[in-house]
Amino acid sequence: MIPLVAAPPAPAVSAALTDTEIRVSSGFRGARIVLYGAVFDPTDRPSDIVVIVRGPDQPLRIARKTQVAGLWLNSRPVVFRGAPGFYRVASTRKLQDIAGFAPLRHLGAGLEHLAIAAPLEQRVETTYGVRDVVVSRLGADYLDWRRAVLRLKEKAGLYAADPQGVRFVDKGLFRAELDLPAEAPIGRYTARIVLFQDGKPVSIRDRALVVEKAGAERALYVFAKDRPWTYGLVSVIVALGAGWAASVAFRRS
Amino acid sequence: MHFYLPIAEVSVNALLLVVLGGLVGFISGMFGIGGGFLMTPVLVFMGIPPVVAVASEANHVAASSVSSVIAYSKKRSVDFRMGGVLACGGAIGSFIGVEVFRWLRLIGQADFAVSLSYLLFLGVIGGLMLTESVGTILRRRSGQPPKPRRDRRPALLYALPFKVRFPRSRLYISVIPPVLLGVFVGVLSAVMGVGGGFILVPAMIYLLRMPAPVVIGTSLFQIVITTSLTSVLQAGRNQTVDIVLATLLLIGGVIGAQLGARASGRFRAEELRALLALLVLVVGLRMGADLFIRPEEAFVLMTGASR
Repeated sequence: MIPLVAAPPAPAVSAALTDTEIRVSSGFRGARIVLYGAVFDPTDRPSDIVVIVRGPDQPLRIARKTQVAGLWLNSRPVVFRGAPGFYRVASTRKLQDIAGFAPLRHLGAGLEHLAIAAPLEQRVETTYGVRDVVVSRLGADYLDWRRAVLRLKEKAGLYAADPQGVRFVDKGLFRAELDLPAEAPIGRYTARIVLFQDGKPVSIRDRALVVEKAGAERALYVFAKDRPWTYGLVSVIVALGAGWAASVAFRRS
Repeated sequence: MHFYLPIAEVSVNALLLVVLGGLVGFISGMFGIGGGFLMTPVLVFMGIPPVVAVASEANHVAASSVSSVIAYSKKRSVDFRMGGVLACGGAIGSFIGVEVFRWLRLIGQADFAVSLSYLLFLGVIGGLMLTESVGTILRRRSGQPPKPRRDRRPALLYALPFKVRFPRSRLYISVIPPVLLGVFVGVLSAVMGVGGGFILVPAMIYLLRMPAPVVIGTSLFQIVITTSLTSVLQAGRNQTVDIVLATLLLIGGVIGAQLGARASGRFRAEELRALLALLVLVVGLRMGADLFIRPEEAFVLMTGASR
């Protein structure tokens, strides 16, 4: 006979963002995303929390400066697809102390595990009407390019890892703060909250976050994209009108 | 006070931009140049994507130039016919320039093209103007009579067909040289985000041999037309004109331009020219230096990847 011992309920994590909508208007100088969450675990095993926030995917182009005849020129740009426009990972301690290579790689947790899709094979295609754009001809120096993408994005404040970004504020209750710079792209973000126990991800929650332009900023942006020629005319009329107005004002004074 | 720019997608200090716009506008009104060659590098330095800086700057240049061209036309020192001919060339040049810039961006060489054109044009023109005006100043200080101006105009101006009379400039020359000059300046204005005054002014003096009093006003008049067209084309084709950025700059710009146009009468022409030459030379060398200095960071992220 098998003894009927009720298996302890699986540990779970739950979390909520204090804001699910970041509105970018003229005064926008960045925002702080605050996330609260709780760990439900009757066994009281040591728990670690990792929060991964990804912004909308933004294909990016990167070029390497090479010296040609004494001049520093850009090489042909290489396109990386599927790189997030924004990436933050916050955790209760250093990621390598929380889990091993495989689970971190699988979750894309940590800058070194972030999946940036650059096709490894050489492919030349016609993009935007320009022929022979090298999508990727990265062989041996693939890692150099990848590291460069991460470094430049980190420098721009768009990618970051904070090993002290999540703190337990009470038993089972944690809090994370993530700063969104003013340069952060517009679009849909996801925050993935992962509970780690014994180096394994045992529970995952996803929360959505939207960063959108609001008010006049949005109106102008939409105007510029939808009716570019009218927008251009309006901007010129504003410019010429202002110049004329100033000269009239100065003649009177 | 910080402002979030809808197209550039960065947050900037609005007051700083107004003041900068004003300073550049002052220089613009004083020297009869658009001032874009000063403003565009400053904007890029402030973290505004270069493509947006170039396109929005054209708009700002248009505004401050209108402001000063009105001031000059009151003094009857604008040759509208010559300006119109130059602007026809400028229109053609703008079309070509916007397409060239678009193509340069896609192959990733826009930065290089911008640096090189700054180094080449500003360096050469600044150098020539500086030598010439310092020479004049030195001769005057030492009491020598000014070098007689060679009144012999290049024969090419007369040999070519389509001759037109320009009464205010007291010229009767072929329209081909001014049109070509206009095309050239139009291309530059799109690629470098400048009005092209720093090329037009010396070219009108030394190549077309226009009388000095009408040169500045005429140059500004042609700049207004060319930059207006460039900004419509940049907005329509590349969607890179940030109207908030341009407006902040032009608030200061139009006022500065008025003050500059008034102040220009109080200085000696040669000293003014020497000062401008120095400014042009320094900016050109600074922008071009990047081509020769080993970059600290070997990789560059390109903007405009998503389009």
